[in-house]
Amino acid sequence: MARYGMALDYKNCINCKACEVACKEENGVLLGADKHRIWVGANNPDGVWPNLDIASAAFMPSQCQHCEEAPCEEVCPTHATYYDENGVVRVDSDKCILCSYCMNACPYDARYVDDRTVTVDKCTFCSDTRLARGETTTACQNTCPTKVRTFGDLDDPESEISILLKTRDHFSLKAHLGTKPKLFYLT
Amino acid sequence: MAEATVKKEGIVAQVKEFITTIPVNKIGIKDIFNYPKTPVNNLIALLIVLFLAMFAIGVGNYLIHGHHAYGVTRQHPWGLLIAVYIFFVVSSTGLCIVGSLGDVFGFKDYEMISKRAIFGSIVTIMAGFAVIAFEIGHPITMLIYNVLTPGLRSAIWWMGTLYGLYLTFMIIEFVFLLKHDMKSAKIFGLAGLLIGLAAHSNLGGVFGFLNTRLISNGVFYPTYFILTAFITGIYLAFIMMGFRYKLNFPENAKKMLVNLAKIQGLLLAILMFFETWKMLTGVYGGMPGRADVVEHILTTPPFWVEVIAGMLIPFIIIISSKGNNIKGLFWGSFIGMVGIFFMRYDLVHDTQLKPLQMMKITEYQLPPKWVEYFPSASEIMISLGGLGLCLLLYYVGTKLFNLDADEAH
Repeated sequence: MARYGMALDYKNCINCKACEVACKEENGVLLGADKHRIWVGANNPDGVWPNLDIASAAFMPSQCQHCEEAPCEEVCPTHATYYDENGVVRVDSDKCILCSYCMNACPYDARYVDDRTVTVDKCTFCSDTRLARGETTTACQNTCPTKVRTFGDLDDPESEISILLKTRDHFSLKAHLGTKPKLFYLT
Repeated sequence: MAEATVKKEGIVAQVKEFITTIPVNKIGIKDIFNYPKTPVNNLIALLIVLFLAMFAIGVGNYLIHGHHAYGVTRQHPWGLLIAVYIFFVVSSTGLCIVGSLGDVFGFKDYEMISKRAIFGSIVTIMAGFAVIAFEIGHPITMLIYNVLTPGLRSAIWWMGTLYGLYLTFMIIEFVFLLKHDMKSAKIFGLAGLLIGLAAHSNLGGVFGFLNTRLISNGVFYPTYFILTAFITGIYLAFIMMGFRYKLNFPENAKKMLVNLAKIQGLLLAILMFFETWKMLTGVYGGMPGRADVVEHILTTPPFWVEVIAGMLIPFIIIISSKGNNIKGLFWGSFIGMVGIFFMRYDLVHDTQLKPLQMMKITEYQLPPKWVEYFPSASEIMISLGGLGLCLLLYYVGTKLFNLDADEAH
């Protein structure tokens, strides 16, 4: 029993997209499912040359926020979307009816249709793969050359992520919606 | 033991007797093709056959390619079929309201349409279910897990479950109407109406609960759905009565339709008032994600079709004759239904118009301003097929049942 979350030191991201590749490889994401499970956003710099705001040109890696109050879980008519024992938002493909309500309700555009199961799928923090094998890191974290991502148990005060969140300022995306995301962007 | 068996047999015999005494005309396939061969009737018959053929092609394409046969995308997962489903269930709820005026609320003037409207509510919701069955990816799984693991916080669960119950009550009410058991029809009619209204507002809730879609979020849709259902029901009442009497309305039908036209005038005025305020509050303050969406909607042709065809033209017909131009409103109701279709399409499309924009852009590429969607041929064919199915079921119903008010009324 843990409460998994992820901290992203996003200003270190160099947009190499190794995380996207590792995720696809680990979780068997189909070819062509670009920016579906996880993605790196590229923000163009604000302003007009030569007065460009270089700091605004950051890359923004993102994925499912594993909300504690997930809108996708609330709207699911068959409880196909559920919180597992580690607080990870998961989809039971046997129960998913593909009504796509969760895709519309998710504020983070984090869900997609997996063409193999013809059900909705999403990031699972590698619960079916790496965590199931007893590993303690996700594929995206493990491969990142600049150590953008830190994955761990938010309930463990000694975990790396807990210490990071205690010592660094951070923000969450669309937190005003009350979704209580468990992805934290370090500033 | 023997006593229980006798009792059981008694109940079975009673049910059997109840079913066998439902007044149904005995018809064969030949009777289905036996209709006055006027050009209009021939055209409608041809369209029904054409639409049903399209339905088969569309469904076939869907069964082969799945959702790839549709124009829906990850950013726009709900498309035309959801809009058409809403169109049919709104029609059903509306006809249920119109039908209830006579047999539930006891307004004598409206009793003549009760049976027809209740039958109409059954065929429209069946057409809706036929369409949605090919939009929901796994309808059989839905039937199983809706029961085994119900998502009680989901508006879709409530909407689907209540609509299933509603259809059951509507069928029972219709049977009692056929048997001229007005007391039982009233009880089941009231239950069906209340469940139908709950189901329908839950359908509005499906959109109203979307916190992240500012244009739809809030109380507007759950209440507006009931209002527009009543409006749709009256349009359909005019169309059904117009066909029934070939526009030569008897006095009692005239009286009822004039009254309905006056109610429709009031409802349309309220709808335009609501819609105006929705747009005004949407734009006011320039809130990103809402004001920009409203401004965009105001520049799109489907919105103006919704307003002009669905509201303004019928409203002008009613106002200019103080509700007495019922032949005009028969034609106006066709225009109104086109507007109502666009109303449903707009509601689905506008909800998904604003990209959620999780910065999924690549370098040197501007983010898309709006999510684009256009229905595929398969979606259009299945939608028209739903209309064909609805028309066919209604036509067969007019042959099988006496949908006019009984003389004893």
